[in-house]
Amino acid sequence: MSPASLLLPSAQECRMTVTVSASGLGLRYGRTHALDDVSLRLGRGVTGLLGPNGAGKTTLLRVLATAVPADEGAFTVLGHDPATARGRQELRRELGYLPQTPGFHPDFTPFEFVDYVAILKELTDRAARHREVRRVLAEAGLDEVRGKRVKKLSGGMRQRVALAAALVGDPGFLVLDEPTVGLDPEQRMRFREVIARAGEDRTVLLSTHQTEDVAMLCHRVLVMAGGRIRFAGTPAELTARAAGRVWSSTGRDPGAKAGWRTGAGTFRNVGDPPEGADLLEPTLEDGYLLTLDGDPAEVTA
Amino acid sequence: MTALATETRRTTAPAAPGNPRAAVLALALFEARRLLLRLPVLLALAGYAAWIVWRTLQPWDDYPVLQDADRATQGGPLFVGLAALLGANHAVLRSRRRDTERHLGVLVLSQGHRTAAHALSVVPLALLTAAGVAAQFTWEAFKPGAVGTGSAAELVVGPLTVLLFGVLGVLLGRLAPSAVAAPLLVVVFFLLFVGAAFPFAGEESGAAWFAPVVSAAGTHPFPSGLLGRPAGWHALYLAGLALTAALLAVLLSGARTRTVQAALAAALTLTVLGGVVQTSGVPAATTAARQRASVTPEKDQRCVRRGTADYCAFPEWTPRVGDWARVVRRVQALAGGTAHGRRLLVRQRVEARYGLDGDAALAPSTTPYQVTVGTAWGGNRIPEFSTAVAAVLVAGDEKAAGELCDGRMVTVMWLSLAWQSDPEARLRNVRLDDSLTGSAVVLAPTEPLTMTAGQTEVVRTLLDRPSYGVAARVKAHWTELTSPQVTTARAAEILGVHAKVGADRCAE
Repeated sequence: MSPASLLLPSAQECRMTVTVSASGLGLRYGRTHALDDVSLRLGRGVTGLLGPNGAGKTTLLRVLATAVPADEGAFTVLGHDPATARGRQELRRELGYLPQTPGFHPDFTPFEFVDYVAILKELTDRAARHREVRRVLAEAGLDEVRGKRVKKLSGGMRQRVALAAALVGDPGFLVLDEPTVGLDPEQRMRFREVIARAGEDRTVLLSTHQTEDVAMLCHRVLVMAGGRIRFAGTPAELTARAAGRVWSSTGRDPGAKAGWRTGAGTFRNVGDPPEGADLLEPTLEDGYLLTLDGDPAEVTA
Repeated sequence: MTALATETRRTTAPAAPGNPRAAVLALALFEARRLLLRLPVLLALAGYAAWIVWRTLQPWDDYPVLQDADRATQGGPLFVGLAALLGANHAVLRSRRRDTERHLGVLVLSQGHRTAAHALSVVPLALLTAAGVAAQFTWEAFKPGAVGTGSAAELVVGPLTVLLFGVLGVLLGRLAPSAVAAPLLVVVFFLLFVGAAFPFAGEESGAAWFAPVVSAAGTHPFPSGLLGRPAGWHALYLAGLALTAALLAVLLSGARTRTVQAALAAALTLTVLGGVVQTSGVPAATTAARQRASVTPEKDQRCVRRGTADYCAFPEWTPRVGDWARVVRRVQALAGGTAHGRRLLVRQRVEARYGLDGDAALAPSTTPYQVTVGTAWGGNRIPEFSTAVAAVLVAGDEKAAGELCDGRMVTVMWLSLAWQSDPEARLRNVRLDDSLTGSAVVLAPTEPLTMTAGQTEVVRTLLDRPSYGVAARVKAHWTELTSPQVTTARAAEILGVHAKVGADRCAE
């Protein structure tokens, strides 16, 4: 068991308070429904957001981060309603946002960049701010490179700078849009550690394509497709959706929705198994695949 | 949970609620530090410092007139201003160029506040320029030969120019968010400065004052009461313009609050007020004072007696009487006859009727034994004044001295130069074409004199000899040497110079 998984908050701990609440969120780009009647409730802890490309994950995160306004619906974050200017400002004071492809100022050092973001978050006391910047840089594992120019850092390091920028000021609501994309396994593990720690006493919404990340980090998971929430529940509940629907065979089963040869030489099939199939233990990914293929009406938000 | 979990608890309170002003100030300091460390700004500051040192070390600047020295601080900051324009514009466009706006746009500090911080970030550079201006002016003021008084309104023009250009860079970033806009504007401004091609540049009044720096200056300093420059109004105009540009940039960034709109209206009012009043021309009282100082300077002057001469000068120049008296004493010491103890009147004169940028020559005085001294001193002005003293001692008055065309010119030039260190170099300085041979025009505070090639040769030969030997002959033959009938050949003969000298022809 990894150190990160040890830090995962229990579902009981996190079910206590609703910190983010949205109802009927809708947003259209031309004729496309990027968000279609999205409602959700989040509490403390890490919530994973899964979905295929174009599902509306990034749009949902951008709406919740107040980067774009929704056409319809309403939401609150930690009691702040972004529909008013004051509420939006208060929400932003509680927000840490890591966009999907964060931009950087290449001539800045990590310290300068995070310090800059800290100022924009209205951390005005210089000494306290610098302490906070050093803290988040240490938390992101950037202690040794904090004086190096960002342009000289690797992609993984830069992603950590962006994470540190999102963490600075100790925000209550952390929005992370595919933070582990492009990272090698070791870097991903470090990210998981940081995100898991962050989720202990904050609300973290983590968009990702990595079901493994969700399995290891999140106490809740949302699955989106076509701008709608297709599933909301615990990772165990999502996994349970595939119970009895994963089986092993010597060849690819023609009735399977998905099937692939495993390292052992047998085929792992997902779908509706034939009579007497050799059933396997389902994973979160199996549940996710079957959810995307399933009926939206099954959503339990 | 483990120790690792304990350290992950939220260690600080969430961002202290709403103190955008403090955040703007913190961001301004952050941006100011980055601006000051940008290469163009560093180069401009280094160039500015070098320019100050070079300027203040010039020998012709040993006797500064402070009401001109204040204006002389205004040119250098223009280039710091251009660097500020580039740097501030670069900073404003940074988020756009690096695509960080998606991230920074959801942070607490609004774009309007960030724009205000960018505008404020130019202030430290303007203050640094102010320190440069103060250093340059103080250096001038503490030179032993300094006279006059400086104007604070003239001194703030340099720093205000830097502030204005920096803020223009911010405004440009909001109006035309393109990376090429600022460099193009800098090229245009640079060509205007270097080519002095600002519309109406150099004029003393009117539209010239819309330019940031109006350095209209002739060759002769004026008493400060005759300047008539609307320096205070111009400073108000520049400050108002900088404030207007900054507030406009903030407004364009989305901060359309009543406070910003009211401040913009106030800044615009100040700009218009300063802009209109500064272009209203030279006040009638100043024009009258210029007329009086040019025609009847004695009404405004103080006179003091030193040795055999009376010195009448505009009040700001009385500390310079000692310098003039040293020259008069040295020239008279070499003269013979009655000229040796002749009572002279040295009167300071200025031609102010044609304005600051007028370059009209002073008419020679017809008053016997009155010598004109100008308002500039140091460098070539010293041998020129020496020549004027010698010419009046020999010819009787300046008008007659200007018409010298005979052997007396040899005596005049020897008296003028023999007491000076490196007299041959001074001879070169005092001749219009910097020559040491042939005929030439010789500069003086009023009308110039002329030397023929023969006179030049004789004078150079005399200057090569020990002055005490020549002085003895000058004193012994003073009457003949200062007679209108003496030819150059005869003067040479009297003074023991064996040279083939033709007939005196002034048109030579």
